[in-house]
Amino acid sequence: MTIKILAFGQISDILSGAEIELDNIDNTEKLTVELNQKFPELIRLKYAVAVNGELVSGRAILKHQDSVALLPPFSGG
Amino acid sequence: MTKKKKQNVFVEGPISPAFIAENITSHSTKLDIGGHAIFLGQVRGDVYHEQKVKAIEYSCYRAMADKKMYEIREYAFARFEIACMHIYHSLGKVKAGDICVFVFVSSRHRKASMDACREIIERIKTEVPIWGKEIFEDESYKWKNNS
Repeated sequence: MTIKILAFGQISDILSGAEIELDNIDNTEKLTVELNQKFPELIRLKYAVAVNGELVSGRAILKHQDSVALLPPFSGG
Repeated sequence: MTKKKKQNVFVEGPISPAFIAENITSHSTKLDIGGHAIFLGQVRGDVYHEQKVKAIEYSCYRAMADKKMYEIREYAFARFEIACMHIYHSLGKVKAGDICVFVFVSSRHRKASMDACREIIERIKTEVPIWGKEIFEDESYKWKNNS
């Protein structure tokens, strides 16, 4: 299975490119571990996670073709 | 009334004073309105370590941002006795001194529009996935931190 990662704000710099795809990740905890390994700079950052546009917390299930957005603190206005 | 219409909140680049004036003018036929509350957000030319911010470049998670803006709008109509509401937020680059947010709320009496306007801008800042990148005069940048 494949999920799509959408990175925003400061995190888009770290992931160097706005979107990446990852295989065989079926929940958000696994995703965090995987991302922290690939991008150690993420470990010290505070960010929220949204699956298909809805904020999630804890261990959320991921399905094939889900979009997972990594959202650093908002700074609109 | 514009209550049920889904608005396009995001505009590319700065919000021009002429656009704001046109919006105000377009309400002159709505005779049930007795007061407008307007909030305008302007890009500050802050200085960090002797580097001056020359612009902010805004980006958003569009699908989620549109949904959040819609929720805020629905909430405000349910919570306050307001007649109409318009919200605009810039995307892309906005120079220091230019307008990046325009919240325009109208009501029969002043209190409802003033209370709604304040709450709407607070919610936009904390709940809508928008990010500002502060660009300095030498083109280096820093991600904006809302405090």
